Amino acid sequence: MPIVLLILAAVGAISVGSSQINGFWSVLFNPGSNEIVWQIRFPRVMAALIVGAALGIAGLMAQGACNNALAEPAILGTAAGASFGAVIGIATGLVQVGSLGALAWGTAGALLATSITFRLAALRGALSSFNLIIVGIAVSAIFTSLVGITSAVLNRADARSISFWSLGSLALVTNENLVGIIFTTLAGGVIAWSIAPKLDRLSLGDQSAFHLGVNVPRVRFLALISLSLLAGGAVSTVGVIAFIGLAAPHIARFIYGPSHRGLTLHSALIGALIVLVADTLSRTIAQPNELAIGLATALIGAPILIALVTVKNNVWRTQ
Amino acid sequence: MITIDEITIVRDGREIIYDYSEQIPAGSITVIVGPNGCGKSTLLAAIAGDFAPDKGVITIDDLHPILTSPQELSRIRAMAVQNQSFTLGFTVRQIIEMAGEADQVIEQLALGEIADRLVTTLSGGEAQRVAIAQAIAQNTPVLLLDEPLAAQDVYSRGRIIQLLKELAEEGKTIVVIVHSSESELSWADKVIKQFH
Repeated sequence: MPIVLLILAAVGAISVGSSQINGFWSVLFNPGSNEIVWQIRFPRVMAALIVGAALGIAGLMAQGACNNALAEPAILGTAAGASFGAVIGIATGLVQVGSLGALAWGTAGALLATSITFRLAALRGALSSFNLIIVGIAVSAIFTSLVGITSAVLNRADARSISFWSLGSLALVTNENLVGIIFTTLAGGVIAWSIAPKLDRLSLGDQSAFHLGVNVPRVRFLALISLSLLAGGAVSTVGVIAFIGLAAPHIARFIYGPSHRGLTLHSALIGALIVLVADTLSRTIAQPNELAIGLATALIGAPILIALVTVKNNVWRTQ
Repeated sequence: MITIDEITIVRDGREIIYDYSEQIPAGSITVIVGPNGCGKSTLLAAIAGDFAPDKGVITIDDLHPILTSPQELSRIRAMAVQNQSFTLGFTVRQIIEMAGEADQVIEQLALGEIADRLVTTLSGGEAQRVAIAQAIAQNTPVLLLDEPLAAQDVYSRGRIIQLLKELAEEGKTIVVIVHSSESELSWADKVIKQFH
């Protein structure tokens, strides 16, 4: 059912835009037959689906590894680290905005920032989810400041493109850009799928998970790698898109239950659906202008999350 | 058999356990009894391999828990911690199935009525019984239970003690922590009161 909904939404998203497409169905079944559809809308819709899926699973990894409902890539410093990595790559002239190189730098930055968060949170012994969240917010703030400072010293053209990208936009995505993010999303998704049963056990606490045979530090490390690949790839390609990492896993959990293996798929589907609908709205609602996608993702995701928390708040113990 | 050989455990600069030795026989129920803060749970966690003693050695049938991988150790010993917290809304059955086969232990501990309930909605006593059931479902030769009788009504206490006796008769080595307020310990094969 969600997959059918996603396909219908994707076809609908490709069909709408500032230009009317004559013979849409014929164009749709003939790849390359129409430049607007196949060079502009198709990569954009594909990017929305992949980025949404990546951020949905990234949020799941963050919440599962920290055993905390508030964890997400933005909270743990992952998103800010990815921005920092990509901006440093661009600032040094080694890579361009949206390139595969920027994706590699972004993923490395995400890994660096998330590792710092986990390492600092564990400095005084056992890794507590409270420490992770507090340290993550601080690390995120530091990397966000570094992105701002680096952008300020760049030349004007680079700064403008970085500014546009950092607000979150799928407008510049090309078919070539998709290759890298497909790779990071698949790699991160496979790791997430493989450690999912262990994250179920980790929800009982580190000590009980260990008693059940889970190598807790190893599972956390793999979750960190998965999170960095997923969020790093997404952020370095389309900028920071807020809220998906937090909302998609929670919405999926409310509908499908807490098992992480099922949630890996469902968080991806729900993340993809929200980003796709949000991007379609952001480019059509105020034509010819385009809204920042983060405005639309929050407007769509937040009411759903509030409604589910209000009606069915029994999947995550809050007290 | 569990062998505790001259162990010392220091926590926050305080000697919790000092130069303590003990042998816990296989196929029996051993009860560790004492007041709050005397180090009962610390001793059980050390036996479970949660950490290494500062001095001395603990072995389970010649196997060193701290030198054994978590996966291999989970086939040797199971443990139910005190005050098990459940953050995600799995059902009781799903929680038990994380450790092994659930049907038999659900019946043995009379958890049938709550088997499909979410663990986030359980009372303290129910949650503790689910933790015990999960440890039993792990089906290991050694079973470590931290205050399994706390917060249980008379009926549940009787069921738990009866099940532990049956498991010991099957050959399992069972170590149970009880609070010093527990007066009736005739069901234990061995009682440890002093381990400082």
